[in-house]
Amino acid sequence: MTHTKRMTVALMSAAILTAAGSAAVAQDGANIFVIGGKPDDPFWSIVKRGAEDAGKVVEAQGGSVTWLGPQNYDNLGVDAAELIRQAIDQGAEAIVAPDWVPEAMDPAFQAVKDAGIPFIVYNAGGIEAADRLGAMNYVGAVDYKAGLAGGDYLAKAGSKSGVCINSLPGAANIEAYCQGFVDGMTQGGGTAEVLPLPATAEGNVTAVAQAIKAYLLQHPEVDSVFTTANLDAVGTVQGIAQAGKADSVGVCGVNFDEAILSQIQSGAQACAIDQQGYQQGFYAVSILNGYVNYGLSIPTREILTGPGVVDATNIEATMAGAQQGTR
Amino acid sequence: MTDSRGAFGRVARRPETGSFLGLIITYAFFALFGGQVFITAPGWSSWLNAAAEVGIVALPVGLLMIAGLLDISVGAVLPASSLTVAIISGHYDLPLPLGIAGGLAIGLAVGWINGLLVTRTTIPSLIITIGTMFGVMGLTLGLTILIAGSTGVFIVPDVVTKSIFGSAINNMFQVVIFWWAGFVAAVFFLLHLSPWGNWVFALGGDRDSARNAGIPTDRVTIQLYMLSGFAAAFVGVTQVITFGSAQVAAGSSFIFNSIMCVVIGGVLLTGGAGSVVGIVLGTITFAIVNQGIFFTRLDPNIGSIIIGALLLIAVLTNDGFRKLALSASTKKA
Amino acid sequence: MTSLRSFLYRPEAGAILSLLAVTAFFVIFGGVDLATLLGAASWVNFAANLGIVAIPVGLLMIAGELDISIGAMIPAGSMATAILSGYYGLPIVVGMLGALALGALVGLVNGLLTVRTSVPSLIITLGTLVAMQGIVLSASVLLTGSASVAVTAPDWAKFLFGQLIGGSHQVTIVWWVIIAVAFAFVVHSTRYGNWIFAMGGDKVSARNAGIPTQRITIALFVLSATCAAFVGMCQAIQFNSAQVSGGMGYIFNAIVSVVVGGVLLTGGFGSVVGIFFGTITFAVVSQGIYFTDIDRNWSNLIIGAMLLIAVAMNETFRKMALSYTGKKKGAH
Repeated sequence: MTHTKRMTVALMSAAILTAAGSAAVAQDGANIFVIGGKPDDPFWSIVKRGAEDAGKVVEAQGGSVTWLGPQNYDNLGVDAAELIRQAIDQGAEAIVAPDWVPEAMDPAFQAVKDAGIPFIVYNAGGIEAADRLGAMNYVGAVDYKAGLAGGDYLAKAGSKSGVCINSLPGAANIEAYCQGFVDGMTQGGGTAEVLPLPATAEGNVTAVAQAIKAYLLQHPEVDSVFTTANLDAVGTVQGIAQAGKADSVGVCGVNFDEAILSQIQSGAQACAIDQQGYQQGFYAVSILNGYVNYGLSIPTREILTGPGVVDATNIEATMAGAQQGTR
Repeated sequence: MTDSRGAFGRVARRPETGSFLGLIITYAFFALFGGQVFITAPGWSSWLNAAAEVGIVALPVGLLMIAGLLDISVGAVLPASSLTVAIISGHYDLPLPLGIAGGLAIGLAVGWINGLLVTRTTIPSLIITIGTMFGVMGLTLGLTILIAGSTGVFIVPDVVTKSIFGSAINNMFQVVIFWWAGFVAAVFFLLHLSPWGNWVFALGGDRDSARNAGIPTDRVTIQLYMLSGFAAAFVGVTQVITFGSAQVAAGSSFIFNSIMCVVIGGVLLTGGAGSVVGIVLGTITFAIVNQGIFFTRLDPNIGSIIIGALLLIAVLTNDGFRKLALSASTKKA
Repeated sequence: MTSLRSFLYRPEAGAILSLLAVTAFFVIFGGVDLATLLGAASWVNFAANLGIVAIPVGLLMIAGELDISIGAMIPAGSMATAILSGYYGLPIVVGMLGALALGALVGLVNGLLTVRTSVPSLIITLGTLVAMQGIVLSASVLLTGSASVAVTAPDWAKFLFGQLIGGSHQVTIVWWVIIAVAFAFVVHSTRYGNWIFAMGGDKVSARNAGIPTQRITIALFVLSATCAAFVGMCQAIQFNSAQVSGGMGYIFNAIVSVVVGGVLLTGGFGSVVGIFFGTITFAVVSQGIYFTDIDRNWSNLIIGAMLLIAVAMNETFRKMALSYTGKKKGAH
């Protein structure tokens, strides 16, 4: 028992020691609150990095940037709406937030508007949400268009039959990626279908690799694979190699990390679709900072940060960015 | 006549009989509907690769269940070990053997803590390992971001290490299959041929009488947890070396997958019964269903239904066999 | 002193003390403004959704059983509502009844399998968990061609199940309180409650004492699956849409809440009030961290540590309570 207590107390104090004092209140500059994804989501850690980098300018001008994100995505809309309200309560002078679940979150955005706080919708919702809610602008990408770009790229590269790996069946954003890919392939003159993986494969890269291997063996006509998660792309390349089709099957995927970039560099993967999360955080915060401090505005409506394509032509610059945590 | 009935009773009473029948039926089903590829080498490699990883974790989880204990924390140990290897040898560029040792040490340490907490308190092992699971998950996430600044860490293993832990024979059969075979042999020896195995069974039957009979129950429990932590960490090591990438949000599927393999293999959660052969058969059955579905023309969405149904059928037939065995032995008596 | 003692021996003592400790921890080390925390809806909403599931799960644990199929029943409930009333355009009542009936059916299967076999309920509900995940996903894809379905509820249904009170507090909070009060009454003031405790204490002697253990077990499983489907139903009505994925987080969250609430996993000990406060404690830990300066990345570590401390504390209280009653007996 004493062991239990001693250990847990030690762990707790470790947690306190590493706690960052990020909520410093500034004197004159803009206090900007950013609502984003959960902390262990690789994509959102890049968005956060972009917001923090823009925050360096904000801080130099006497303001602050505070990041708020939910613990998990189980109760996404309500949790995020609550975070928006919390930002208002904590005296935000500008707010950046995604419109993930309009039904649940629109009232919170309305409260922001009523409080006279300038805000930007980013990452999800599109310019329609920004117009409906009275936001300054929309900064972000569209999931469907990312899939479309991938299908288009592979079809132009000569692929006739593709498959989209859905390792999280039921998640709306993954469905949108896959639908976009299928449409992109079809428009390019090919065909494509979606391969949903069972829940027992979740978060297990080997299960993904073996599923793709089995699928390719059973469907010899398939010559391209589209992935929707970082680990899936790594597993897919292994699965293709194990099926003995490394030379004949092209791979493209949404988002990337260092491992995927080295796959593109070595030629094992054709391309990666980049939603450029860094830009989403960076521009949303920068625009609001300029507006609050100096009344500056960006007249361009709907600032699209994606889809960008990473392939052999721009791999070097992308790798440099990835090493710094900006891509 | 009496002889044959006795033999039948003995066979039916064996814990692995049900799982063996289940395996035959499952394999026959997918061989029939899975087409030509399923029964050739690529098909076999497909489910063997999938079976090997979950199989390594399922062995010690099965031993724990034979001893009447559970380990949920394996799902957190796996990514913790992958990330330890990737951080030590990828982020800090230290020698890979050091990273692997670090990853395995994490597994042993978590297992030791689990074992200590289970033996020193009367709290059920399910609750304790849920607690350590959350704890290890939190530490993995917090420390990875603190050290590497991102939730994914990468590593380029050298050729020798890659061939030992992460290569594929004939570009098809991953080397982890042989590691699994090694684990099976070692655990088979421990459980069925060494006196330690009897202690494990005694622990699951009745802990108090086991202790009174002079069995070092606490030490055996801690050893069991260290074994399962080690096995999960080992799978984490092979994954990071095979794929060159470690992510914080991985491994959770191993928690229930390993339990399912063990249960399909005829081990009672109530402890005291089970065998290594049964666990291996259960793992293979589980992997065949998971992989076989991709060889058939069936909608992959129904894969989960088949796995769930299979699990229920397995436990029900095992239960039936057990009742049969019990009634047979009572009749004899 | 005596009243303090008798408080400490109650199952909910640990939960209430944990809640105080966690709040104090956040106030002292996290710089939390207590008024802001109390006024915030995030943790109450979180607690309400979890709490509606945690109470029947806790009762099952008091009776010595486990139900992890709830992880599949929450999306199953919301998908049933959305498919029936959204995709097929049937009246919302049909969708709601469909969701609850599905919950009752799965609960019935869980209960029947548990009482008819000697297989532990953890394993049985693991099987129904995986099977239901597959059934919900396949049904959704086969019937609607998509894994997320929209549904528009009429105003009265929205008012009852999907309203945001004051623009932030979900109406499920009210349901949670109603359900908690109802369960507390049944468990602590009727003979059914005594039966549940007796079953958790010793199932065989409970049956010998004439308690219909099988019927109670089945009823409890039906309740837990139906409550999970109810939460899913409310979510579908509130968000106007349902997704197949999600819900797995509830499995461990519910068990942790129940255990922090002082219920003994081995059965026979616990209280509805304890589960209620255990859920609040869990919600404050996982949501309250937003109100602190502590980095979010450490929240799981704090949850794990809290769970272990809470069970250790509960165990100490129980031991104290046992030795206390032992002494009292000796004195007489």
